[in-house]
Amino acid sequence: MNTKQIHRFVLKYLEATQCEILDKSPYHIKVKLSQAADRELTNRPYYWSFIDRLNETPETMSFLFVTDEEKYEATVAQQPVEEPKLLTPEEKAMERAYGIVPKPLPRIPREHLHFGSSRLKQLFESAENNGSYVCLYQEPQTRTLHPYDSRPYTVWLGINYMVEFSCDLKREEIHSLGISLVTGHCQEQFYDRLTSMRLSPRLPANVHIAKNGISYTKALSIAESHLEKRLKSYNYEWAEKAQARLQEELERLEGFYKPLLAQATDEEQKLEIEQLKEKREEEIRWQYEPRVTVSVINSGIFHLDGID
Amino acid sequence: MNNRLFTTNFSNDDTHQKPIHPAVNVSFQREWFKELQQRIEHNGPWDQWSMFQLAMEAREATVIHSFDELLCLRSLPSIEPMPHQLETAKRVLNEMGGRAILADEVGLGKTIEAGLILKEYLLRGLVKKALILVPASLVLQWVRELNTKFGIAAVAQKKSHSWGYEIVVASIDTAKRDPHREVVLATDYDLIIIDEAHKLKNKKTTNYQFATQLSKKYCLLLTATPIQNNLEELFNLISLLKPGQLGAQGEFNSNYVADKRLPKNEEQLQHILSSIMIRNRRGDGGIHFTKRIVRNITLELSKEEQALYDAVTDFVQQQANQDGIDISSILSLVTLQREVCSSRDAVFLTLVNMFKKTAEDSPVRARVWELVEVIRAITSNTKAEKALEIINECEGKVILFTEYRATQEYLLQFFEKHNIPAVPYRGGMNRGKKDWMMDIFRGRARVLIATEAGGEGINLQFCNNMINFDLPWNPMRVEQRIGRVHRLGQTEDVNIFNLCTKNTIEEHILHLLHEKINLFELVIGELDHIIERLESKEGSIEQRLAKAILRSRSSQQLHEEIDHIGASITTYQKDKINN
Repeated sequence: MNTKQIHRFVLKYLEATQCEILDKSPYHIKVKLSQAADRELTNRPYYWSFIDRLNETPETMSFLFVTDEEKYEATVAQQPVEEPKLLTPEEKAMERAYGIVPKPLPRIPREHLHFGSSRLKQLFESAENNGSYVCLYQEPQTRTLHPYDSRPYTVWLGINYMVEFSCDLKREEIHSLGISLVTGHCQEQFYDRLTSMRLSPRLPANVHIAKNGISYTKALSIAESHLEKRLKSYNYEWAEKAQARLQEELERLEGFYKPLLAQATDEEQKLEIEQLKEKREEEIRWQYEPRVTVSVINSGIFHLDGID
Repeated sequence: MNNRLFTTNFSNDDTHQKPIHPAVNVSFQREWFKELQQRIEHNGPWDQWSMFQLAMEAREATVIHSFDELLCLRSLPSIEPMPHQLETAKRVLNEMGGRAILADEVGLGKTIEAGLILKEYLLRGLVKKALILVPASLVLQWVRELNTKFGIAAVAQKKSHSWGYEIVVASIDTAKRDPHREVVLATDYDLIIIDEAHKLKNKKTTNYQFATQLSKKYCLLLTATPIQNNLEELFNLISLLKPGQLGAQGEFNSNYVADKRLPKNEEQLQHILSSIMIRNRRGDGGIHFTKRIVRNITLELSKEEQALYDAVTDFVQQQANQDGIDISSILSLVTLQREVCSSRDAVFLTLVNMFKKTAEDSPVRARVWELVEVIRAITSNTKAEKALEIINECEGKVILFTEYRATQEYLLQFFEKHNIPAVPYRGGMNRGKKDWMMDIFRGRARVLIATEAGGEGINLQFCNNMINFDLPWNPMRVEQRIGRVHRLGQTEDVNIFNLCTKNTIEEHILHLLHEKINLFELVIGELDHIIERLESKEGSIEQRLAKAILRSRSSQQLHEEIDHIGASITTYQKDKINN
């Protein structure tokens, strides 16, 4: 993710959570958080429980998020320094009376959102937690001419899978599958198809949903066996190597503890060594044992134009 | 799912396992499906399409495409690791399975290497829970480095609930004690880092026993001491990491050990070691240090100062020759002499304390008072004048070290009078104040007056001038002082000014440190091993010096005594080189 992508991501997140953008450039965003975003991001559970219990109007926090530090500094440096504003009569009176003019303290923390920063990580996590399940309808591409015409829509189960290949090392892949509940057909790169169309949470006019041919559970097993077949065709040299390392290590442990066990004089000592050995073996399995884990990033029900 | 033991053994309704290859199974997680079905049943609540897309975008940005490419670099804008550090991190991750001894020579950045490895594992989700065991004095430094340099939310263990955090830094001495012991031993740690691991070389110690009982997936042992020198210790350390790597104890002894310190089949041994230990050396290519330019400035004491020095020396000799005097009082007496060489304020404070402590009718009291009278005559400080001169000639910032609080206070006032902005730094300050002082020094102050060199957090690569207002007797402390400015990241040659007063013990000390040990030109990192070995055999250098000073009747005799101490250090130095 480069700085531009981060900028776009942050902006989209803030818009999705209905935050109020106070000021922005391609390098920074000054924002007043919405209530939802404040609860999500600022880690102030006590404040919010206080507000909730007293039914108070909350004051949400504002932030200055800088996405490109260098360029932002450059633009700030270019801007002319603001002339101090003329005092209003009230302020003049204050100044005469107290010697100072009280100013509202705008506490706007500034944060650099770079890849790897904890705030960006928090935004990622928040998006993942709040974008898990959707139910959407495709908006018709063309207006039907006849008001009584009705277009058939197919229900799809869309699943974005994360596949983890791990031993002491790790690699991941994203697989996006869509299963038509009408035909049971399974489509790869389903997410790409979704992003190319306009989707809305409401059922459009002049549309009818085709009857489902299969159940959701059936669709799930179709998706899983499809993915399984894909995964079977992969190269598992890494797993074989990990198994070999695992065996080698286990033999090494055996060689280390055997003489110790033989030397052990009493039962108690023997037991102790055996426990230690078991512990070490467990650790090595934990470290090297190869595994492929399939989890789901998010999923949804999509009603798309046409029957397929 | 990687942070638990037996991940592959559990199986329930939410997970479905299927074999896909003789070497590996695939498991499908299905928890999400139940949730989806429930939402279908209740027709909601549904998430926003835009959030759904953002979630995908976030996962796509963080997906780990390959087994071995380093991910941590792009998320660490605040550090730029050296090539040898990156190389080390890669080897540990990809070739050593995450269990290794990092044995770089001092100052090459073992902490950075360990930080890189930890960060990489965190980013890959292979480590969630990590424990970092370090000497108590380094806990905060580790936490700060991990927080500021690596953006890792490490927490110093302070209360028993601290163990609940994901990444905890603790001292091993605390961790092994009840009630912590139980908690720590009951936790499975994805990664354990042990700093100063050479302290675990003896398998009979409680620390070693404790370390063997920890549950860990990956493990890094950090040490700067070349453990190859003692084979038994080497074996113990490796048994902690990978038992059996060198065979069982018996095999090891017959295959590799000729004598306790003498290995046989060395080539083979080195080969095995290289699969578990990485030791970068200064001499290796790519690691560049700037030069040290040392200047010794000998100063003549003013008439009044010399009078005080002579009076104090008389007093010290007299006191020391009393019967039944113990070593600690000898040390404090000699301290008086050293303080005179620093500032009148330092010696005054000690004398006043001494006066308060002695009984009212003791004849010593009168003697002490006489000395205080001599102090009154002194109006200027020769060294301070010289220091001022040096600072005015130097470009850029200067760090000045002194051993004494009173001298520090005096110098602060002195510099203020001469319009040089200076800030103090001492061990007793709390963390926040230390940081504040550092910030001021980085900003508008020109001079930092420090009384402590060791300890955490003073890395002053931006400053390349250093004044030793007085010299500590322990060469290690001198080295620590220099190490504050002369370290990786220093881009300029480092100027070191040693202020030394003529006809005093200082002259002898400088003679020992500079000419005998050749301290200032030593390769960094060599010294600690030499001193460690020497002190384990012959007692601390400070004590030996103090005894020599009080024993000597004449300057000539003292000179010889000090030469003798110097010679014993050089012997160890030669030993080291031959090794």
